[in-house]
This record gives sequence, structure tokens and C-alpha cells, in this order.
Amino acid sequence: MLLEEIIILGTVTSLVYALLALGFTLIYGVSGVINLAHGALVMVGAYIFGALVGFFPSLFPAGFSHVAVVVLAVILTTILTGIIGSIFYRLTLHSILGDQIATLVVSITGCMLFAQLIWLVFGATLTARFPVNLFPGYRTLLGVTVLNDQTLGAVVSIILFVSLSIFIAKSRTGMAMKALSQDIEAAMLMGISVEGMYMLTSAIAGAIASIAGVFIASIAGAASGDMWLSALSISFSVVILGGLGNIKGTIVGAVIFGYSVEAITLLGGGGLVASFPFIVLIIVLLIRPKGLFGKHVEME
Amino acid sequence: MHLLEVEGLTKRFGGLTAVNNVSFNVDEGEILGIIGPNGAGKTTLFNLMTGYMKPDSGKVRLNGEDVTGLSPDKIANKGLARTFQVVRPFRHLPTIANVLVALESPRGRRKIEYIRTPERKAMEMLEDVGLSEMMLEPAENLSFGDLKRLEIARAMALEPDLVLLDEPFGGLSPIETEYMVKSIQRMHLDGYTLAIVEHKLHALMQMVKTVLVMHNGEKIAEGTPEEIAKNDRVVEVYLGKAI
Amino acid sequence: MSVKYLRRAYVSFATHVYDVPPRMLAFLMFIALAILPLTQLNLTILERLTYANMIAILAVSWDLLVGRTGQISMGHALFWGVGAYSAALLFQYFGWPAWMTIPITMLVGVGIAVGIGIPCLRVKGPYLALVTMSLPLAVVGFLYYYPSAFHADTGIRLSALWPASFGWTGSFLANYYLSFALMAVSAVIIYKIATSKTGVVFVSLLDDELASKASGINVTKYKLLAFAISGLFGSLAGCVQGYFASSARPTAFDISLSIIPILVTILGGIGTIYGPLVGSYIYYLLYYYVFPPIIRWIAPSYAASVGVAGQQLVGFVIFLVIVIIFATRWPRGIARAIVDKLDDLQEAREIGEKK
Repeated sequence: MLLEEIIILGTVTSLVYALLALGFTLIYGVSGVINLAHGALVMVGAYIFGALVGFFPSLFPAGFSHVAVVVLAVILTTILTGIIGSIFYRLTLHSILGDQIATLVVSITGCMLFAQLIWLVFGATLTARFPVNLFPGYRTLLGVTVLNDQTLGAVVSIILFVSLSIFIAKSRTGMAMKALSQDIEAAMLMGISVEGMYMLTSAIAGAIASIAGVFIASIAGAASGDMWLSALSISFSVVILGGLGNIKGTIVGAVIFGYSVEAITLLGGGGLVASFPFIVLIIVLLIRPKGLFGKHVEME
Repeated sequence: MHLLEVEGLTKRFGGLTAVNNVSFNVDEGEILGIIGPNGAGKTTLFNLMTGYMKPDSGKVRLNGEDVTGLSPDKIANKGLARTFQVVRPFRHLPTIANVLVALESPRGRRKIEYIRTPERKAMEMLEDVGLSEMMLEPAENLSFGDLKRLEIARAMALEPDLVLLDEPFGGLSPIETEYMVKSIQRMHLDGYTLAIVEHKLHALMQMVKTVLVMHNGEKIAEGTPEEIAKNDRVVEVYLGKAI
Repeated sequence: MSVKYLRRAYVSFATHVYDVPPRMLAFLMFIALAILPLTQLNLTILERLTYANMIAILAVSWDLLVGRTGQISMGHALFWGVGAYSAALLFQYFGWPAWMTIPITMLVGVGIAVGIGIPCLRVKGPYLALVTMSLPLAVVGFLYYYPSAFHADTGIRLSALWPASFGWTGSFLANYYLSFALMAVSAVIIYKIATSKTGVVFVSLLDDELASKASGINVTKYKLLAFAISGLFGSLAGCVQGYFASSARPTAFDISLSIIPILVTILGGIGTIYGPLVGSYIYYLLYYYVFPPIIRWIAPSYAASVGVAGQQLVGFVIFLVIVIIFATRWPRGIARAIVDKLDDLQEAREIGEKK
């Protein structure tokens, strides 16, 4: 029983974590920016979605099924969060590109800024919980209870990873992003607008982050005022473990991380789960900062 | 015993052998010039000698003591000082403080005779290179030529047994080059032993007694400037195969 | 003419090492802080100023490590928390009084600082920042995981600093003057270190580690020294504040304590030593006494609906925005930007005069 639980829940959790980390690694891969505000965008997504679905059903045309409302809300959320992420990048990080320390300081300040704004707008505080729900209910697989939101999250994660990889490999914009990740100057010489591409990347990363936020909150049943910190720390650990900027590495990192977290929880170490991302981060950074596959080379 | 003995120094980067089995000696009071086309491995050689890179094989001996692979600060404290090709000043510090850093090192502290304070000694070093006026200026305000002279002042503050100058003339105007030549000659007269990597052959050849030529990581010739100028292989390496 | 004078006046505001800070300003600030309670015996203000004093110590310890030596710490909360908990645990398990726990705690702070400094030596820039940021956060989890040892939910009680005869007002006053004295002493010590030869070597590490090595400096030794000093004062701050609050709680490791020193130092001028001090007080001044009234004035009904706490939150948001603006537009500090601007004006004048 335990084994099945670890395997199935581990898979699902890993995929959701991978989704969480995807935006973070995308930005780093394309622009070399470690955007700590990522955690806040996850939270922003969860809260906006929760607000739309929970509090403003009147916004949606009457007679819409729950599914339709959810889909519409998700679309709105991703667009809004993408715009927010993009604007934040352009207003702040763009002017300090290349200064890694300033970027860290500004992005963590921005992260706190978003968190505080959410607290202001939604009246949230550190411990207050803001109900967020996609599709309540669960299924059982091999005797293991899996929430519908978890399953959906895992599926969406796979879809997004695949879509993004195809996008980067095949589309013109995607190839431009890949070019930027390899050699900025050459890319500029080819006529690629660095500013535009970075803004687009931030938008996509923000959108993905918001989707991850929606799922994380739904699985937990609610969004909380400190979810930015756990979102950020998990994204970090996953990305550092797998290697910054490397999409495949992110998946591997997420898998290792997700299974470990499930295993620890199911084996009774639930309390340590909060510290776990930080411990992983510290160990990896001290032993092998590049992570398993890292090297800020290309995105794969 | 030679002041500096370099024996079989080799360094590989992946498939590329940057320095290949290079050996030479430097005696006290000598000025050695190290020349060679770009990519010959000169700066790598310097880095190997001063501890910034660890050689794959070979030895470096200073005053008979094996200093191979020691950290750069230990090597500096043992008496082997270097300047950098691309100047590396301490930008936020005033010029005099740049020199004071070296005087804070163990060797620096030893070399300040008890009658003088570090500040006095630093001022003397700056006077020697003509930077006294800029003493309190933050180093980042100095011109490029001044910064090159500051590099030398910093190295000399350690009163080293051997000074490695990495392209001291790089980027200098003709007047600045002349000044630098005079500074280096004066250092030599004061009894310092020097090894100089340089591209500006005209300036270099008038100063040095011995020249070592490198190409593709190997030492291909060693001798007086006159001998080197007549060496067919050297000419070929610099100018391409005989027309 | 006036430009030259202004420039000279402002040169001492710029981020140099040998600059004398505006001695007058610092002196006045100290005087003001010293006599304030005598003019205005308001316990709330006293308590806030006391806290501000301790944050000032934390911030200045951060500035020495980061602004002067270039070792990026985004986890200074670690020292604060270690300070609070060391004292609390010593009191809880051995019953030691404050005059014993405080010095020991400072030593613990040094030990922890060196302990994390050693592995962190080989980690660069952003990675170092991330590691340091994670450390206090990892500790919090452990505190909750061993509730019997750490009493995370209630916090660990700390003994009172002053005898009961001091009374309520008396102990507040005593707290304040203790915090003020500690802040003044810490500031002076750190300033002296920063302007000593050791401080000069610290800046060489910030500017160019490789060149520092070439000058014979044992970089490792100096980095660890910077960590140790920073840890010593950081844990002193957290420890004494723990006494003021009468308990050590997991919030002592909160990320806000890692971020606030950074914010106030950026505001005040990174690397200047007086910057974090001035910044701390300005921050709390703004947070408690400037922003809330402004918000009440601009949007009275909104302000009324969210109450004072809400107003302070909005003020904090404004403060964060200000810091972001400062950090992106003037990464080297606003004082520097002003000096550069004055330099440009000066040059333009001289060129104009030559014609």
C-alpha cells in the first residue's frame, strides 16, 4: 500500500512541482535572470483565480457550467498574471540586467511587494486561507486516493511541458528565445529584440506560474498568505537540483524532489517537509551548485 | 641555484594543450622577456607560475623552494609578484589604499621597516611610479596609464624577489610606453629580477637580456634579443612561412 | 563656485572608504536618540525606537559583510534567531542570567558565522545569496519539528532584564538606553573596523578577489573574519531583542528579518556604515509616523476602513516600491548618484569657462 502511494502520489506531486518550477527555469534559461518574484506570481495566480471563481460568478454569463467558468477564469488569470509578470520585469529587472545581486534584491523585494499587495487587496494574512477550488472530488487508483485536482494538475503539467518544448523547438519565437539563451549578441545581430523577447518570456513564465498556483492552491484547498515562500523555495530547489536553465533538468529535479517529499510525508516526517526544500537547496548549492545537468548553456 | 626554476610545466584544457612542457630558469638580477604570438600560452604560463591555475605536470621552484600549485597569495608572500594584463585595481579604494592592501599581507608587513609606517611606505611606492598626486583619488578615477603604473606599485610593495609583468605596455600611448620603459629599467637597476610578457617587441627588446619565445604552448627558442631576431623559426612563427 | 562647494560637502556622503561620514549628522542623530525619551516619555515610541536600535545593529552588521566585503548574505535572520534562541535555551536549561547568556550568545554567533562561512566560501554571488537565504528558513522547520525542545508554538521564555523595582516605565526606559548604548557601541566598533587596514582589505575583496590574492592577502581568512564580526553583532541584536520581547519565537528566523537590513541599507547607502544606521531609523519613522498620516490624508475613508495596521501595510508597500526604484535607478546608492551628477555639472562648467 505504501509503495503504491509513494509511486502514484509521487508522480502526481512531481509533475505539479515541475509545473511550479517551469516558469522560473524558463526565465533563467532565456535571460539568465534569477527572478525571485516568481513565488509571488504563483500566489497572484491562485488568488486571482480564487477571486474570479469564488466571488465573482456573476461575472460569468448565467447558465455557464462549472467547467466553462473554470476555463474562462483560468484564461483570465493567466493573461492577467502574464501581463503583471511582464510589466514587473520591464519596469525593474530590465534596467539591472547583468547585476546579479541587484536582481536578487530587487526581485525578492518585488516578491514581498506582491505578497503585501495581495494581503491588502484580499485581506489575507500569513495564516488566513482563501478558498480555491477547481474540481472537488477524488478518484482512487490502485487503492490510492488521488484528488481530481492532482490528476488534472499532473496532466496539465505534461501538456504544458510538451507544448513549451515544441514551441521552443519549432516556432520562430521559440527559436528566438533559444538563440537568446545561447548568445545574446549574436541574437541581437540577427535582429531579435532582447527587450521584447524577455518581456514575452516573463509573460509566459508568469502565466505558467499562475496555472501552477491555481493547482497548488486547489490541491491544498486554499491559498494562504505565505504560499509565495513555499512556492519559491520549491521552485528553487527543483531548479537548482536539476540545473538552472535546463528544462529537462527541471523535470528530473522535480521528480527527485516530488518523490522524496511524498516518501518523507508518508513515512511520518510530515513536519520536516517545510524545511525540506531549503535543506535540499543548501546541500546542492554547497556540493554541486551546477545541479545535475546545469550549465547555463542551452535550454533543452 | 637559480632564483626561479620552471621545469616541464604542462597544462591541458580538455583537448587543448595550452602549455606544453615548458622549462626555463631565471637568475637573480636578470630581465627575461617572454614573447610569442597570440594564444601561445604566455598568460597561462604566468597563471601556472603564480598559482592561479594548477599545472597538470611540472614544477616551479622559487629560491629552491617548490611552490608548484600553491595558492596565489602564498606564492606572492614567498616573493613572486605579478601584475595583470587587464588591470585589476581596487576601484572603490583610494590609490594609496590599493598599495596598503599589499602592505597588509604577511610579507608586506614584514617589509615595512620599523621606522616607517605603512602609509609612508605606500607613498614611497606611489612616488616611484609617479602617482603621488593621485594618492587620495579613488582608483576608479585613474586613467588607464595610471592604472598600469598602480599595478606595478602594488606588486613592488611586496618587495618581491621576482616580478612577473603581464603586458605592461598594453594599451599605452608612445609617451606612456617610454615612461614605463624607464620605470622598468629603474626597477632593474634597483636590483629587481623581472620577467615580462609583452607584444610590443620594440619596447621589450631594448630592455631585456634574455628572450624566451613561445608558440602553441611550447618554448621554441631562448636567447639574446639579437639571436632571437635572427632565428628562422621565430620569424616564421611571427610572420608566417617564408615567402 | 557653488557647485564646487556642494561637491566637497557631498563627497563625504559618497561611498568611499576613507571618507569621514557626516560626523555632525551622526553626532546629532546620537544626541537626538539619547535625549528623546527625556522629552517625550511615550512608551510606544520608546518601544519602537528600542526595536529600531536593534535592527540598526543587524543592518550595520550586514553592511560590513555585504557592502564592505562583498559576501552576499540574504539570510541575516539566521544570526538574529540564533541570538534569541541561544539565550533562551541557555536560560531554559541552565537558568543562566542575562549577563552570562549575552556574551556566550555572541560567541555562538561567531561560531555559527564561521561554520556557515567555511562551506559558503566556495560558493559565488547569487548562489551564496540563495544558500544564506535558505538557512534561517530551514531552521524554522526544525523548530516546529521538535516541539518539546523548542516550544515553537509558544516560544521560549527569557528572563527579565531588570529587577521588578524598575517598574513598568522604568524597564522600558532601561531597555531603551541599553539598546541605544549597544547600538552606539556596535556602530563605533564596526566603523572603526571598516576604516582600519582590515577594512581596506575587506574592500579589496569586494572589488577584486584575484588581485587581492596577488597582493598576498589570505582571502579565506578575511572572509571568515567578516562573517565572524557580522555574526557576532547580528546575534547580539537578536539576543537582546529577545530579552526585550521576553521570549524567543520562530519569527526570529523570519525572512523579513533577512530582507529588512537589505532594504534599509539600500535606502541609506550600501557600504557606508552610517547608511544602514540612518536607513533603519528613517524606515521606522516612515513606517509608523509618515506614511500612515499621509494615507489618512489622501484617502481618509479607505484608511479608516483598514485601520492603522492597514495603513502601515500600505506604507510598507510604498516603502518597498521606493527601495525598488532606488535599487534599479541608483544601484550604487543615491549619494553616489548625486556626487556623479555634481561631477558632471562641474565638468560642464569648466568646459564652458574655457571657452
